[in-house]
Amino acid sequence: MGFYVRFWGTRGSIPTPGRTTHRYGGNTSCVEIRFDDALFILDGGTGLRELGVDLMRRPQHPVVAHMLFSHMHWDHIQGFPFFTPAYVPQNTFTIYGATSGDRRFHQLLSGQMRSEYFPVDFSALHSHIVPSDLGELSARTLDGVLVRCFVQRHPGGSFAYSLEKNGHRVVYATDNEIDLTLPDPSVVQRDLLAPRAIPSEFIEFCRGADLLICDGQYTEAEYPSKVGWGHPRATTVVDAAVQAAVKQLAIFHHDPMQSDDDIEQKIGDCRSRARRLGSDCLIFAAREGVELRLDTPLTP
Amino acid sequence: MLPSQDDHADHMTEEQLVPLLPVQVYARPHVLQQIRGPLSPQIIELRGDQLIIGRNPDVDIRIPSAALSRHHLRLDKYQGGYRAVDLDSSNGFFLNEIRVSSAALRDGDTIQLGNAVFVYHEGK
Repeated sequence: MGFYVRFWGTRGSIPTPGRTTHRYGGNTSCVEIRFDDALFILDGGTGLRELGVDLMRRPQHPVVAHMLFSHMHWDHIQGFPFFTPAYVPQNTFTIYGATSGDRRFHQLLSGQMRSEYFPVDFSALHSHIVPSDLGELSARTLDGVLVRCFVQRHPGGSFAYSLEKNGHRVVYATDNEIDLTLPDPSVVQRDLLAPRAIPSEFIEFCRGADLLICDGQYTEAEYPSKVGWGHPRATTVVDAAVQAAVKQLAIFHHDPMQSDDDIEQKIGDCRSRARRLGSDCLIFAAREGVELRLDTPLTP
Repeated sequence: MLPSQDDHADHMTEEQLVPLLPVQVYARPHVLQQIRGPLSPQIIELRGDQLIIGRNPDVDIRIPSAALSRHHLRLDKYQGGYRAVDLDSSNGFFLNEIRVSSAALRDGDTIQLGNAVFVYHEGK
């Protein structure tokens, strides 16, 4: 029992196995969140395959999970056809659309298993795969957990999710080019070190979270050649975390060109920026295989 | 002197049986290097599928400190290395200064349990 978050895939864009990504991992986006007995799976990148293997080994059967997708780009859905529990008849997975009647995510998940793309048809998944949605207000209580949704800036659109229970909250916000939403983007050109005002809607969505899992794909040096690709500077994410007074920030969706050493350099820059901004927010790189328990004290 | 044409003459290779020399393969174990706290400094070689760290006499790696729980952390063999799992300890398990409940360990990770600090070194 408790409130747990486990990272199964933290890489952005494409899987990157190999020696230089051994520490932080090469699987794409997949995060498991457990509030007591309620299981939530956020995104189905290649990390979902290993989560599936682990779920099959656990004593809790049948597997029942709520699946929330940020969007349907490859790196967020490719693990689904390899998710073993989806083949087991007794299991149930509910796929949520962000708004009332929205069934796109369910349709696209089945679409990627058409024979042009994959040898096994969606109909071979014998579990109950149920389409649902978060309703008119894009907010719904599921197994006692309040789930809310936020529309982000990403080519084709994407959603952030907030999950909250018993006063503890985690926000999952990946594939969100916050830099393109800045009310005053010129501040970055004038002074890289100057604080960047983040739109208040996003700040309020994240405010006070125990953990913000946020796309921080690019360094300052990488971002200028990737504007419009749908991902922010990690340093801009730091400003969002500081302004929203979140307790911990997990920089997520690491660029496939970044080695472990590059990620550590990126995180070092993020921590320096937070210190300059006078924040004591704990900042770290989301890392495959790490599980946090968020209803316990954060410091020794 | 330049090689003559004869030096490149095509000779039949004669098959010879060469006995294999005994080769010793050294496997370096995964280790925890304790750098702070009671009993430090010390190097602890990790052997076995499951090890318990704590202050109780019955554990595999005993650290005599009131800051550790009796059974504080479990190390499970995992994908060729170890996965560390907090056993609902009072003071928690900090991996590189972040409180975590479990993690697959990687070379160079710093593990803090109470006032004891270790560095994990992957073996070969």
